[in-house]
Amino acid sequence: MSILANIFKKLLIAGGSFFAVTFVVYFFNLDMKLTSKIEPFLIKHYDTMPRETYL
Amino acid sequence: MVVKAENYNRPGDKELGVLFDGGKVRKRREWRGLKDTLYDYGRWLHIMGILAKFIAKPRNIKAMFRYRWMANYLATPHMIDKFTMGLRDEPLRIVHTSMDFVVYDVASTLDNIFRGDRRTGNDVEYSKKCVLSDENAMTAFMMGFPTVHAILREVPCMFVANLLTQYSSTHYLDVAQQAGIPGDVCPMPEAEAGTSIDDDFAVLGCCAVQVNTTCDGSLMGNGIIAKRLEREYGIPTFQLIAPMRHREPDVQKYAAEDMKKAIAFVEEHSGEKWDWTAYFESAKRVNDATRKRMAWLEINSTPYPQFVGAPFSLYNDTNYMGNCGRSKLFPPVDAKLLKLAQQGYEAKRMMAPEYRHRCIVWGVQPQYCIDMLNWMVHCWGVVPLTDMLSMINTKMIAEEDTPENRDQAYYDMAWLNENMIMRNRTHGGYKVLVNELWEFCDMMHADMVMMWEHMSCKALDGMHGQFEEQARERGIHLVWVCHDLCDPRVYTRQAIRNQFNDYMRTVMREEPLDPSIETLPDENAW
Repeated sequence: MSILANIFKKLLIAGGSFFAVTFVVYFFNLDMKLTSKIEPFLIKHYDTMPRETYL
Repeated sequence: MVVKAENYNRPGDKELGVLFDGGKVRKRREWRGLKDTLYDYGRWLHIMGILAKFIAKPRNIKAMFRYRWMANYLATPHMIDKFTMGLRDEPLRIVHTSMDFVVYDVASTLDNIFRGDRRTGNDVEYSKKCVLSDENAMTAFMMGFPTVHAILREVPCMFVANLLTQYSSTHYLDVAQQAGIPGDVCPMPEAEAGTSIDDDFAVLGCCAVQVNTTCDGSLMGNGIIAKRLEREYGIPTFQLIAPMRHREPDVQKYAAEDMKKAIAFVEEHSGEKWDWTAYFESAKRVNDATRKRMAWLEINSTPYPQFVGAPFSLYNDTNYMGNCGRSKLFPPVDAKLLKLAQQGYEAKRMMAPEYRHRCIVWGVQPQYCIDMLNWMVHCWGVVPLTDMLSMINTKMIAEEDTPENRDQAYYDMAWLNENMIMRNRTHGGYKVLVNELWEFCDMMHADMVMMWEHMSCKALDGMHGQFEEQARERGIHLVWVCHDLCDPRVYTRQAIRNQFNDYMRTVMREEPLDPSIETLPDENAW
């Protein structure tokens, strides 16, 4: 019984932590703030790639 | 005409302008009250799950670093936030149900593209069973090929990319113009041509089918793209030509014959035979989707419209054109959307405290990239009941497998192709473009038409005077809003909104419902 209760407690903590962290990321738009910082590096990378550009 | 909500109380943020701070992304997500915020959070997790599953594949990571347009997909959750701004209850659930499924569908398309792409996944056997198709192509000619994949290669590169970020096309426009293509052509096919010139399309497929959609610019782009496909990559390309005067009875035989030739072309290059059982199953789903679309429109013709705006148009585009009855996944989503719309209607659910005008959106539309339609509801209480691209086929096609219906099927596929999104209105003469608009105004009880005037589009230019004259005769408020589709350097988002603002203030003498979003600092936003 105590093993089950322990597992339940751990699941609850894990679920609660997951919710707390992801909800903060969601609400403060941290995911988009992060990806908007990544975009310039990707653009720089595309600009330096060799391409066969012709009509 | 004015409908006021009884006891309207939108929980959460009252002024939507607080979400904007002039940056690339929003300051924070919207507080919609506990119930709807938790619902939106759950859907955000779902979207993140789709994206995580997609990027977990090495070939997709490789593609991320190979193709410039892939960077736009970093903004996927941001796009959903644009479409859900200010929504609660059923309208919020309708947008999530439709757009989250569109996200799933596009992610699957991308996954399929990179599986066959010679530069990334390079699955040669899979690639041999893929047929490339145009962005604005009905996939009706693929309805009887259940084992061959129709790949609308330009959709994720250009069209969807533009939903995600407003500057997604500008690099390709510059490339096309550096190659000598004039800047006054429609930026959509020009950006596609630029993608091909820049060698930034994925390369796959046993063959390609191009269509003469929807304009001279589109034909120009197709020529450039076909040249590279055929001469460099060895991918044979068929030109499926729909007649311009598509409502005339004497062109239908020609259109059906051309459809037959397109099918024979796919058979020849894919090695697969046309399957009539699969075709008629798809035809049943096409009819089912048509019935559902008509039911949504019927609800929108009441005082309590539910499924409106860019998501209505985008979901119809995906379902009618990209899917065309081929996937079994769409009908359950259609049914869920109808159930939500009916629930919302019965509960008299409104998206704003007041609906002052009932509006039909007409002309070549850029509303996807700026999410103008949702803004119109919240800022001015103007409800976009439907739009030009959503007013497509309403005819039921033959769905029982009989010898007569097999002959009829070519005419039906040709009909679907002719009445494809955009072409069915921009070509076919003034009856389909001007006269039917007034019929739709009657049907939807609209008192206002927002006319998108795409400055680089030649298709609608000659009708300008007729629209003005006839709207005046009918007492319809006609708001002209000029734009340059996916080139925000010519018309910024605020320059577009200002035209609507000016009309509402000076002609209608009205004040905004939410003044905080009349002017938005989103020129640099995704």
